[in-house]
Amino acid sequence: MSVAEAVRRPRPRVVSTRLLRSELRLIFTRRRNIAGMGVLAAVPVLIAVAIRLSSPGRDGGGPDFFSSVTENGLFVAMAALTLELPLFLPLAVAAISGDSVAGEANLGTLRYLLVVPVARARLLGVKYAAIAVFALAAAMVVTTVGVVLGLVLFGGGDMTLLSGSQVGFLSGVARVLAATCYIAACLSALGAVGLFVSSLTEQPIGATVAILVFSTASFILDSIPQVSWLHPFLLTHHWLAFGDLFRAPVAWDGLTSGLYVAAAYAAVFWLAAWARFLTKDVTS
Amino acid sequence: MTLFQRRPTLRWLVPLLAALVLAAASSVVGVLSAAARGGLPERSAAQLLVDVQTARLSGLSGTIVQTADLGLPSIPGVGGDGSSDMTSLVAGSHTLRLWYADPDHVRLALLGSLGESDLVRNGTDLWTWSSKQKSATHHTVPRSDARTPRSLADGSPLTPQQAADAALRAITPSTKVSTDGTAVVAGRSAYELVLRPRDSGSLVDSVRIAIDGETHLPTRVQVYADGHTDPAFEVGFTSFDPSTPPDSVFAFNPPPGTKVTESGALDGPDRVPDPRGPGLADPKLVGSGWTSVVLTRLPAGATTDEGGPAAQVLQKLPRVSGSWGSGRLLRGTLFTAVLTDDGRLAVGAVSPDAIYRALAR
Repeated sequence: MSVAEAVRRPRPRVVSTRLLRSELRLIFTRRRNIAGMGVLAAVPVLIAVAIRLSSPGRDGGGPDFFSSVTENGLFVAMAALTLELPLFLPLAVAAISGDSVAGEANLGTLRYLLVVPVARARLLGVKYAAIAVFALAAAMVVTTVGVVLGLVLFGGGDMTLLSGSQVGFLSGVARVLAATCYIAACLSALGAVGLFVSSLTEQPIGATVAILVFSTASFILDSIPQVSWLHPFLLTHHWLAFGDLFRAPVAWDGLTSGLYVAAAYAAVFWLAAWARFLTKDVTS
Repeated sequence: MTLFQRRPTLRWLVPLLAALVLAAASSVVGVLSAAARGGLPERSAAQLLVDVQTARLSGLSGTIVQTADLGLPSIPGVGGDGSSDMTSLVAGSHTLRLWYADPDHVRLALLGSLGESDLVRNGTDLWTWSSKQKSATHHTVPRSDARTPRSLADGSPLTPQQAADAALRAITPSTKVSTDGTAVVAGRSAYELVLRPRDSGSLVDSVRIAIDGETHLPTRVQVYADGHTDPAFEVGFTSFDPSTPPDSVFAFNPPPGTKVTESGALDGPDRVPDPRGPGLADPKLVGSGWTSVVLTRLPAGATTDEGGPAAQVLQKLPRVSGSWGSGRLLRGTLFTAVLTDDGRLAVGAVSPDAIYRALAR
């Protein structure tokens, strides 16, 4: 190989993050997405302030983790995550993932994106990586706001687990972070479903609605005992297993099945999106 | 790639195959690993019963899943899946964790979604804990003498072999007993003791008791109803680790902010409440073996409480009548119960007709 040839064809870096960075910049600088993050962050604020302002004798009762908030501020994050898990967090992921391909098609930018000398499979991979990063960021926003505000208003200290035993503050923080990452992984799997739905249509709103219908239908089926044979295959069945991190010793069964189901959904729906997107005629 | 380019629709096979493989993978792994281990050497029912009696347990931690599909009308607000309430075990599916080091160190945890109820015995302390109520109860119990060898009853001169023979002799007239060495419980090979009623009038098709091939502990009980392929009732280990759990598992100190009730000393079996409950007349047994029917009389006013939950459930049950009188019929997959209008209650693992015959006596 001559020097001239080497100059003409610079070796591309093994992994270029330019496409991913551009995708993330798009997601995190859109005003509607920033507003969505604000809504996610508002829930822990609401919980912490409402519990702080209520009379001190009224602790106990309320949704899961609420009665523990006054003893340890870390539980503000857990209470907020539990409340946002059925609707707000899936909605955020549905909006982003529904937008990822259909949004570009709708704006007419998809064809320009496909002109970039990048294989369609790689483009789809980058799109999915950006969705996963967003899912983690969404869950982390709730946790961070909850933890910070909870510690300011209620203080930290030892954490009482569901099993009735206590662990130190740092172990508590680690468990909260692990629960957040678990939820993010579950949401990323929903994001793969979203990526597939998004590749079917040119209407991002339609895709978002379809993804939300999917996650809500999953929750509904999960609550019907007559179809219990179906439950282990449902995406949302193991979502609440993050609570198993707050037992002593940690019950890993539910968490590992949850991660397996999430990985399986992510793989299957990413491949479905690939099958659809690689042969898709981009007409808009 | 060229194949996919010529026939783009073939691409859809990839996600389809992935879905099938991933859905099947978890169960296939279990079956393959069990098949690789092969069946256990043949053992007779008597040998299995001896094994169970002579099993020595040095420690255990595991997860138990209990499912009940008794065909009962579901009562909203009572029990159900994922509840961590100890009274909810009558319906749905439940997960428990069990740790055992010796008779003085046992912990049982009922896992609910985002909740847990615990029963911890640590030496002379017996604690119950409920995470939903944030409450704990403390009892003191006498230390049990772990060195006493296990026997069927105190002072019984039976050897395990004699006890097994006696038990088999007692049930053989009514029950066909067989064994099977191919069960897999919690990923471990297990024997199964299969009990089948000889009387075809019983709603029970078979009772299968799995006995771990290595430790000889009973690890699963399944009750099959006549004409159903899935067990009507099942309780068994889904994970099983026969090693001594660490002491920290049995340590329980009520966390701050807990309502602690001191219940004093439990002296032993005489403090156990009468299981028949207050005011229930002495039950009478009609018939024998698997098709026996229990007849009893409910205390007056137990069901006449208009608008109460019991009365509301009763209203939904079908009315039946015959020469024996009239009443309401509750049909489950495993048992039938009739509550007559004059307060008689008949329960048995038999068809309604057999219950009516017993009531008519």
